[in-house]
Amino acid sequence: MKPPRPQKTPPMVPPERFPLGPRNPFKEFEILRVSRKEIPLDRIVQSTEETMEHIRRGYEKLLEEEAKELVWMVQYNTIIKAYEVAERYVKEIDFTAEDIEDFCFALENTQKIPYLIPGPAGLYISALCNCVQEEEIVLKLSELKTEINLLGFRLAKGRRLVIQGDAGDFTGIGLEGGDLVVEGNAKNWTGAGMRNGKILIKKNIGLHTGEWMMGGEIYVGGRVRGLGNIVDGKVYERDKLVYPGKVRYPNQYY
Amino acid sequence: MEERSPKTIVEEIWPRVKKKHFYPEIPVPKIGNVTDADGQEEKGEGVGLEIKQKQMTINPDFLAEMKDRLAVEDTIEALLDHGVTHYTFCPWDFHTYMTLYSEAKKVMDDKDLAKQVTTYFIDVVSDTHCVKEKATKIPELHRHLKRGQIGETLASLYEKIWGIDLGSSSTAGRKGRHGDVVRRLARIPYLDRTRWPDSIRKFARSVKPLFIEEEENEKSAGGKSESNPLGDHDVENYSYDEIDQGLRDYAKESMALPEFREMVEDFSDELKEAGYGMEGGMGRGRGTPLDADILFYMKLAENYSLPLKKVPIEKKGSLHPHSHSPWEVGSPIQDVDIWTSFGRIMPGITQIWKKKEGKGRGKIEGTPECLIAVDSSGSMVNPRKNLSYAVLGAACAADAYLRNDSKVAVYNFSDAPMGGKDVLEYTHRREDIYRVLCKYFGGGTALDLDDLTPLIQGRKNLDLFIITDMKITNLEALIGFFGQIRNRITAVHIGENPYASRFERAVEKRGNINIYTVKRKEDIPHIVLGRIKEYFNEGFRSR
Repeated sequence: MKPPRPQKTPPMVPPERFPLGPRNPFKEFEILRVSRKEIPLDRIVQSTEETMEHIRRGYEKLLEEEAKELVWMVQYNTIIKAYEVAERYVKEIDFTAEDIEDFCFALENTQKIPYLIPGPAGLYISALCNCVQEEEIVLKLSELKTEINLLGFRLAKGRRLVIQGDAGDFTGIGLEGGDLVVEGNAKNWTGAGMRNGKILIKKNIGLHTGEWMMGGEIYVGGRVRGLGNIVDGKVYERDKLVYPGKVRYPNQYY
Repeated sequence: MEERSPKTIVEEIWPRVKKKHFYPEIPVPKIGNVTDADGQEEKGEGVGLEIKQKQMTINPDFLAEMKDRLAVEDTIEALLDHGVTHYTFCPWDFHTYMTLYSEAKKVMDDKDLAKQVTTYFIDVVSDTHCVKEKATKIPELHRHLKRGQIGETLASLYEKIWGIDLGSSSTAGRKGRHGDVVRRLARIPYLDRTRWPDSIRKFARSVKPLFIEEEENEKSAGGKSESNPLGDHDVENYSYDEIDQGLRDYAKESMALPEFREMVEDFSDELKEAGYGMEGGMGRGRGTPLDADILFYMKLAENYSLPLKKVPIEKKGSLHPHSHSPWEVGSPIQDVDIWTSFGRIMPGITQIWKKKEGKGRGKIEGTPECLIAVDSSGSMVNPRKNLSYAVLGAACAADAYLRNDSKVAVYNFSDAPMGGKDVLEYTHRREDIYRVLCKYFGGGTALDLDDLTPLIQGRKNLDLFIITDMKITNLEALIGFFGQIRNRITAVHIGENPYASRFERAVEKRGNINIYTVKRKEDIPHIVLGRIKEYFNEGFRSR
């Protein structure tokens, strides 16, 4: 009978001399392990981004429904329908006035939002302004390269919207008693079909101003390029009443 | 107990601060007088910290005034944390600072206001980073600083984003005057460096009314604006090499001459102070005007390292490693001596070889001199209005020869027989070369070959580099001239046209002429100067 084979004993090497591979030259930094502190900024930024993501998704859904071919025509019924769709999506989101401003700038960033279609974008922003909790909304848009159309659509009584910068076409159309201030210029068809409320354009305004307006007041700090066919209401140019007033031919340069 | 001097405290605290920030390469801070934004010596509490060329200086008057409110040790540690974070996080380098400034300027439309806004933004980012990542006394410092209107707004912001009570007006029960501003500011992702350009625009948009109000108050009161107690951030914070690298990166990134010019003009005083704009040119040293356009091409060309084929030259020694010097960010990595650097790339440890030219016997590879002919006729882009690929290409070529210690001559031509030309003899003077390269005549295109002959005659080892769109009236004469000479010729034409095709066909059999087309800026690095088809065969056969 063979004697049992003695078991192999491990080599007697001090533990520190075990071959451990290359030595980590930064080992001494291990003592400086700092636990990452959470500060309120992290939470604020995260929640801002989540809200922006919801707003962005709502806008994309609006485009999917109302501008399938990425073409959108400004007509009475298309405006009404697109606004209703926009309002439906907006009502599902919890947001603040600052989120609206961020969304305006995100529209110019093609990496964030691939398509900026001025009509639906303006209606969507109007829906945001009409549904936000704050009653006074200030949008600092003077650095925006694009002038957004249809801002202030159906702005309701008790709400005040201040645009710092220029506004595009159809600003303040269908105003429903709100107070709209544009600190720059506004283009054509401003205040068209407005029923009540006040629009103040601090600089110049384009053609067809107040077309089919039914009531309310438009104040222009600069020049009015042309008035539309006004039904009722008042238009002031540099504190001077120009409608109703002496003969002013609609849509004529003067 | 005996009161310790601020110097002793700094010496005690500095190793701890360095360790906390992972050993940044920054000299030991000093205690001494500092200057305010207007360059006047700061008296009293105003500015606590000044950074000039990486040297942090703490104002002893500031420490004395703060003493009753905060321990000197804590004040010093907070100031050092703040200062070091400018190097380890924001702005990190001069290029980032310039990028942030240019974004702020777009919103503020005023250079002084843009500088102030940039400084405040950098401070918010740095301090927030420090509060989040390190154990720091910065909140204590902010709690005890005397605050103006802007300081008060920022304190409210810090309370909101750090979650620490700093005793601002909003926490003292009064509704902050600028609650809406603070609300906007608190939404900015300060710690996301990829979004800093967007963030600073938003920051500037939000604080612009405050700064304008402050400026108006200052004008009406005839007094001084609210100084930043943590010091202003400016060009002075950086070393020469950091500024150089920053300008290079900015030129490369923007690739836009007007933007670069605006930036250089905004910082002209500081850049002159740093040594740009020496007598008659654009190198280092104090002196006369700073030509932003020349500086743009100079810094842009430094980003492209065109390969240069050497030729056998008699009695010309090649460069050999001679001595060591410390490596800095931006130094050529190929010159690193890995043995004395312990295999690490780290400022302070890594060393590079300084090369010296030795005397050779017989034929040794060397770099000949170069004659650069650049077309500045009306069909070419005006280099002082827009980025000119022709001038950039010529500048890259000049840079390649100058780097190899060879002289360069320039022949800038438009309608040369009618006087539309500028000739610069062989020289090492970089700024003179760039000045002639950037000259624009904008007339017809004709070469006067009689001008070229004296520049070529008697020079056996000479390279020719011509850059043009080839719409030359006497193109046939030029082709004939190139047919007579045996020098290496690199011809670069901008864009495709029938004249360029004619030139290509005419010289295609000539072994000493290489033709390149530049359509985009990306084509420029493909130019290999002085590459000759038969070089490897003939060159080595003759040795």
